[in-house]
Formats: sequence, structure tokens, C-alpha cells
Amino acid sequence: MSDLPLSPRELDDALAAEYVLGTLDLSDRLSAEARIKADPVFARAVQDWGNRLSDLNDDYAPVPVQNLLPRIEARLFPAPPRRRFGRLARWLAGALTAGALAVLALVTLPILPPAAGPVVAVLGEGDALRFEARFRDGTLEVIRVAGSAAPAGQVQELWIIAPDAAPVSLGLLQEAALQVPYPTLPQGWTLAVSLEPAGGSPTGGPTGPVLAAGVVGDV
Amino acid sequence: MSDDPVADLLVRVARQDRAAFQAVYIDASAKLMGVCLRILGTRSEAEDAVQEVFTRVWLRAARFDPEKGRGMTWLIAIARNHCIDRLRTRTEAKGMHQDDDEEAVAAIADSTPGAESRLIAAGEAGRIADCFNRLEADRAAAIRGAYLQGLSYQDLADRHAVPLNTMRTWLRRGLMSLRECMDA
Repeated sequence: MSDLPLSPRELDDALAAEYVLGTLDLSDRLSAEARIKADPVFARAVQDWGNRLSDLNDDYAPVPVQNLLPRIEARLFPAPPRRRFGRLARWLAGALTAGALAVLALVTLPILPPAAGPVVAVLGEGDALRFEARFRDGTLEVIRVAGSAAPAGQVQELWIIAPDAAPVSLGLLQEAALQVPYPTLPQGWTLAVSLEPAGGSPTGGPTGPVLAAGVVGDV
Repeated sequence: MSDDPVADLLVRVARQDRAAFQAVYIDASAKLMGVCLRILGTRSEAEDAVQEVFTRVWLRAARFDPEKGRGMTWLIAIARNHCIDRLRTRTEAKGMHQDDDEEAVAAIADSTPGAESRLIAAGEAGRIADCFNRLEADRAAAIRGAYLQGLSYQDLADRHAVPLNTMRTWLRRGLMSLRECMDA
């Protein structure tokens, strides 16, 4: 490559590359985005660079995440998600007309989680701070059953550890059960909860003390 | 059906097929979480970003064109763009790049053997790995760091202790060489 200044065409192509790469500051990014919409040649250059650099995507390691789908669907589809609760909603409507309103008020329906399945691990067995893991239909669910949440400014983070492997974060534990899609029950793997700064471990591995741990299938 | 199951699902999502949308979530959420966590650095922000990304996937699926690229590539582009926008907004709101110095240094040092060998082991990434090998090591590392972690020119300039425009010229040369090699 020579050291001659880039030609106008090369400059355009370099800008497309920079946009895909992500190195531009906010105002340059926004003007590049506007140009993608208005200029098909530039849009094509962006597309080409996206494909050229896409091989680097292999370098992004998958990270298990709790099931965010209910929240996403609640945002996109304002009506209650029908898939899971449709029948329940119809039943409720019937119950309401039957004058069961008073009973319902007592029941205080949270957004009903799917059936949690059998307990597959106890983390911190016999301790003041204890968690239970349950598994059913490809979903691993972990919830605190004794003790309290982390102090302000800190969080409890859940990890799964395969034999001879580094811990992998499954998410931050809140009051509600943490649900993580898991195709099959990871028998013999360790689940552990560590204390981390707000937002979760900044390093990708546990940084704080282990608060509770247990082995899947060992109950 | 094609050899790209994610693309097939996205075509259905474009027709407002919610079951297909759920299937995309199952297939891609862990990968996109990996992208967002790598760029944003904290789990809570990454989870927030993943929700936003899937919202866009639903809203923009009609723009996906299987002729122009693979489904997963399109999803990752949405995730990267969203996360980089967040980073840039965050930096400009704070008006300080300097505080990110150490982060940038750590990030650019990410050309770990692990990352490198994963790339090569992937096989289909042979072409870009080959072309990266022909670039100066510094330039290849800067391009990879920018792409994977969302480093800005400012981050890169700080890291290399050169003026921003010098960094930009230098990196552009690297990108043009990379294109020349990959399109050859």
C-alpha cells in the first residue's frame, strides 16, 4: 500500500469501514447512518465491510443469559403474552364474572412463572443464605430461599462451573427467580453465588467471595 | 429452507411470526449477550442492550435480505451497532475519554493467544486470519480490538500515544490493505 493520500472513492470506502468497525465518534456515526439511508452506493460499501469483517464474529464467545423474552415480548406486544397465559386469562375472565374478584385480590397475581420443576441443586445447604435450583423443559431456575439480598451497591451473581473449567456467569440474582435456558440438565456441574459490585463482575469471572455453592444432581 | 436457519427464521419474523421470533431468541440470545457483554463490560447493561436489540430485530426484520448476508451476521451487526452507540453516547455525556485509558489498554491487549487461536480454529475465518497475518501486528490488533470491543479512535490514539488524526490515517491504511487482501 502506497503512502499517497486516499482518493475520494477510497475515502468513502474507508468511512464505510470505520462505521462498521465502530471507531467513529457519535456525530460522525450519526452522519454515516444518515448517509446509509440516502446513498445506496455507500450503503452497499457498508454491507460489504460488514461481510468482510464478519469472520471476526467467531471471536465473540456465547454467554448464557437469563430468559429476557417475557420482558421483550411485554414491550413489543402490549397485550398479555398469549402463548403461555391465554388459557389462564380466559379462565380468569370466567372467574371474574362469577364474582370471584374478592378472592383474586387476596391471591395477588405476580406474572406467573412457568412451573419450576424439581429441585436439582441446593446452594449453601444448611446455611443462613441458601438458594435452590430447579429444572424443567430446558429452563434452569435459581431462587433465594433463605437469607437476604446483597447490601446496597453490591449484587449476588450466579455462576456455573463445568468440571475443570472456569466459572461462567448465568446472571444476577434478584428477588424473583433467575431463569436461564439450558437444553439439558448439567449433571455434576457446580452452581455458585458470589458477591459482586453493582452491575455484576467487571472481569467476566467471579471477583468477590463465594456466598453459596452446590452441585447439580447432588440433592 | 436454506443452509442458514437463522435467515429462514428472520424471513418469518418479517411476516410477524412470533413463534419464529422466539426461536431466534433461543438460537441467538447467548451469542448476542456475548457481543454486548464484550463491548459494554457489565452484565446488567449487556442484558439491557440485549432486550433493546431483540426489540429492533422484531421491528426491522423486514429489512433483512438473505441475499446480502447471513442471518447471524445481521443480528450481530444490530447488536454491535446498538452497543457502540451506547458507548459513544456514554463517553460524550461524560465528556471524558481519559478515564477510559486503562480500560482501553486492557482491551487492546486482548490479542491473546486464546482469541487468535479461536479465530484460526474456526476454519471459515481462514481468509481474514490470513489477511490479518499479512498486516503489521499493531494494525491487526487495533482493527480487531476496535471491532470486538468497540474501541473509538480516541481510545486507540490514547493507547498508542499518538494524535487522533495520525491514528485514523494509520488505521485507514490498514483497512485498505485488508480489503485489498480479502477481495483479491
